[in-house]
Amino acid sequence: MDREDKIRQQDKELTDSIRYAGLIQTAVLPTRDYLTNILPPHFIFFQPKDIVSGDFYWATRLGKKTYVAAADCTGHGVPGAFMSIMGISFLNEIVNQKIPLKTGRILNQLREKVMKALHQKGDSKEPKDGMDIALIMLDPENSLIEFSGAFNALYLIRDDKLQVIRGDRMPIGVNAVEERSFQTHVIQVQEGDCLYIFTDGFPDQFGGPEDKKYKYGPFQKFLLSIHKEDMEQQKWLLINEMLEWKGDNEQIDDILVIGIRIE
Amino acid sequence: MKLKAFCVRNYRSVVDSGWCELSPDHITGIIGQNESGKTSLLEALKSFYEGEIDDDILRSDLSLPEVSCSFDIPVDMIRAVLNRKRVPEGLLQAFAREKELVLTRVWNEDKSSQVLAGGKEVEKIYDKLVASHQLKEEKLEARIRKILNETEKIRDQLKKLNQDREKLIRKLDLLITDYSDRKKRWRKRASGAEKEKLGAELEKMKEQIAELEKKADEKAAAAKDVSEKLDVLIPLTEVSVAVYDTRRRVGHAEENREKIFRELIEIQQRMEYAPSEREQRAAQLKLDVTQELYLQANKQVQDRQEEYERKKMIASLVIGGKGMRQAVKETEEWFSEYHRLYSRAELGHELFQLIPSFELFEDFSSLLPNRIDLSEIIKQKSEAEGFKAARNFLIVSGLTPDFFRQANSRILKQKIENLNRETTIDFQDYWRQSLGKKNKIRIHFELEHYDASHPEKVGKPYLEFWIRDDYERLYPKQRSRGVRWFLSFYLELRATAIRQDTGHRVLLIDEPGLSLHARAQEDVLKVFEAVKDRIQIIYTTHSPHLIDINKLYRLLAVQRRDVEDERSETVVFNARSLQEASSDTLSPIYTLMGSRITEQKFIQPKNNIILEDVSSYYYLTTFFQLAGKKQDVFILPSTHVTNVGMLVNLLMGWGMDFIVILDDDEEGNRMYREMKKNLFGNSDEKARRKICKLDSFQSMEDLFSTIDFKKYVLNKREGIPERNSEYIENNGLSKSILAAGFKQRVQEKGVKFTHFDDETRENIGRLLDRINSMLT
Repeated sequence: MDREDKIRQQDKELTDSIRYAGLIQTAVLPTRDYLTNILPPHFIFFQPKDIVSGDFYWATRLGKKTYVAAADCTGHGVPGAFMSIMGISFLNEIVNQKIPLKTGRILNQLREKVMKALHQKGDSKEPKDGMDIALIMLDPENSLIEFSGAFNALYLIRDDKLQVIRGDRMPIGVNAVEERSFQTHVIQVQEGDCLYIFTDGFPDQFGGPEDKKYKYGPFQKFLLSIHKEDMEQQKWLLINEMLEWKGDNEQIDDILVIGIRIE
Repeated sequence: MKLKAFCVRNYRSVVDSGWCELSPDHITGIIGQNESGKTSLLEALKSFYEGEIDDDILRSDLSLPEVSCSFDIPVDMIRAVLNRKRVPEGLLQAFAREKELVLTRVWNEDKSSQVLAGGKEVEKIYDKLVASHQLKEEKLEARIRKILNETEKIRDQLKKLNQDREKLIRKLDLLITDYSDRKKRWRKRASGAEKEKLGAELEKMKEQIAELEKKADEKAAAAKDVSEKLDVLIPLTEVSVAVYDTRRRVGHAEENREKIFRELIEIQQRMEYAPSEREQRAAQLKLDVTQELYLQANKQVQDRQEEYERKKMIASLVIGGKGMRQAVKETEEWFSEYHRLYSRAELGHELFQLIPSFELFEDFSSLLPNRIDLSEIIKQKSEAEGFKAARNFLIVSGLTPDFFRQANSRILKQKIENLNRETTIDFQDYWRQSLGKKNKIRIHFELEHYDASHPEKVGKPYLEFWIRDDYERLYPKQRSRGVRWFLSFYLELRATAIRQDTGHRVLLIDEPGLSLHARAQEDVLKVFEAVKDRIQIIYTTHSPHLIDINKLYRLLAVQRRDVEDERSETVVFNARSLQEASSDTLSPIYTLMGSRITEQKFIQPKNNIILEDVSSYYYLTTFFQLAGKKQDVFILPSTHVTNVGMLVNLLMGWGMDFIVILDDDEEGNRMYREMKKNLFGNSDEKARRKICKLDSFQSMEDLFSTIDFKKYVLNKREGIPERNSEYIENNGLSKSILAAGFKQRVQEKGVKFTHFDDETRENIGRLLDRINSMLT
């Protein structure tokens, strides 16, 4: 076997191994059927940059309440995937206590688990790995939602207006300054409201005529322009928009956008 | 650079104190009854610093004392002083990991001592250093024995082979001589039957000779083989013999030292009972000579021990397959390298200079005297009565020995007079007794010269001290012992604060203010508080007035293992295990709690809240204060959940109304069941009216959200996925220290209820509402 063959062989082995890891990652994400059962009309546009992803989505039901999250772990590819598996396990552990927690407290607990797992104590030299996340709790019985975010925001479109509900400016993981509790935003919702949570992959993608970032303003405008469409159709429009924007550019990060329509 | 903990072994009644952690706020009280061993702990610390011990500290089994202290010293400071020799690899990292410096003073039979450095990790590094270059003792021993046996066997074998060969050669010689004789005879015969017969005999003999020669050759070859084997074994045997030999020599040297030591003891005893001064002098002379001999003998033991270690290493290497020359070379290199490294004792010696100084506040030297010779101060005669107090006074007054070198005594007197006008010891801030409150106390001193009434000192200068108030001027000894003690104690602390060169200090005080009034004893505590940032204080007491009920974490309790037997060993309980001490040992705390009942409106007919322990007391009082809720509640902490029942019985007996707050943990639930059964006719409804369980919270700490627990209680940033109470238990933290820290932080940093997050506010609010509804 010459040198080139050897490299090719190694590359194949590595890709196979990552591909298998990708299968495992997909297996821990909620299935389409499960999501259809617990969520009102929705779409999930999930496009990893590599085979495995640092972005993940998670959803579960506790009594009559449904929790759904979109998260972005530090890094993409394999390191991001490790973090994402950890994030999903921790979120499951937290809700498995069967105590209906406010979204802010779920994020507080998630942060404690991540800091403990990564031995983060606020020293300047330790790794600052962690994740950004947007977490929503849907409470259809009381027509309200709770939202908490670690850097990531929630977009709510009602009556053709887009409202930005910002998350706290700190990550799930050790913060540069002392950690504070995550805020829980409680919002009354009404039928037809559209909720969007997402990671920074879509607005940060380079492309367009001037090879610039897509940015949040255009992203909000685009969502406003499509929000009346059927949810599945919204997903295809987003995919299309991304393909057209990106053009020949490489995808720079994992992309995740979740849309939910309140019934 | 602080003393964090200490451990005393084989010191008077203390066999093994275990590690006694000092209070993190630098004031540690040791409580216990008389003869419990409190003072022994202080003296052990003094001995650790000074290295001196008396005969009477030795235990009857003659096991030698050891005192270890652990210090909080940054590794950079350690690195900075270790510049004379090389530091074994990994040592500084070990110090950094252990985050503390442990020094242990060990004493030898002759009362000499050395300080060894290192906690467990450091010890391991040194053990490994030696072990990596040597076969283990038992393994080496077994190998040596095997080699010597084998050599013996082969030598025997060789000897036998040589003997057999010699025998054969002798036989062969005889045969050859006989053969030549017969051959001559055969030649002389012309012919005939006789010649033929002789010829046949000669042939036979020839065969015999050839056979014998063959046998002799075989024996020689076998001897050669065996001899070769022996050649291989000889160097091994030599090194093995050398190991045995040097070990024997170590044994002889030790015997010799032991013999001299026994002589030394005998001479010391003889000196004590010497009937006359002359005999005492003679004994002293002999003692000096014998001491010299002992030191020599000790040196010999050390030298031979090192030689033994060398031989062992050479043997290990030779047995391992190295040539003799190579083994010697490697051993010498290793030892020379080893000598270039700090030994544990050398390391201990170097690092000892970093630690704070330990000083015992003693009445004899530290109480202000009436007078002291100037020469005793200038010559630093610390054994002079009142030396320390006089020195402290001069420091506080800003005087140095140069001041007294003024040749003109009239000018000097004038200067002193001016100084006396200026020197007011403003200690009334700390001294609430009427004398201090109403009158300013002044210490005056004068320079006088001995007159003819002291013929041996006539003309020599001395300092005389006076304590003045607005009414009179008295010698220190004419004042009450209390005033004198407090003043001297105050001077000591002030002087320490002034002496910039002294660095950090550990002040050991045995029974402070024994002669002080109860209020004045509380003033002593105030002084401790004022100086604790510069001086770490460790004091013994059985006075309740020298204990702060809000800071029980400062206490170590000392008692005999068998409280009925004063000869049994001393055991020490720390803040976390205080409840395990006997009630006699804890009596100052109980007295204090009792005495506070009347003074602080501890219990009232209504609105009494009984809590499980002191930590709950800190939390609840702070919660009430923060939430601005009902203030007329009277909170009574028990010393442990198991004692709650007793308090409940007492209050019921006195006809006072109360509620109890219990944790929702195993012990809290057990107490709830017990009280429900015994006091409330097994009715949950009735019990719930009086007992408030922290439902779903295992203890008060769980009322905090994790974030607030870390911020306001723990003062640390790390991930805590478990309950706060579980974290405390898993990490062996003291609940009372954390709770006291919380209370202090709230007070010092002006924490408000709104600073907590909604989770904490909600939990605390719910608890306080519930308490209020139960009380009304």
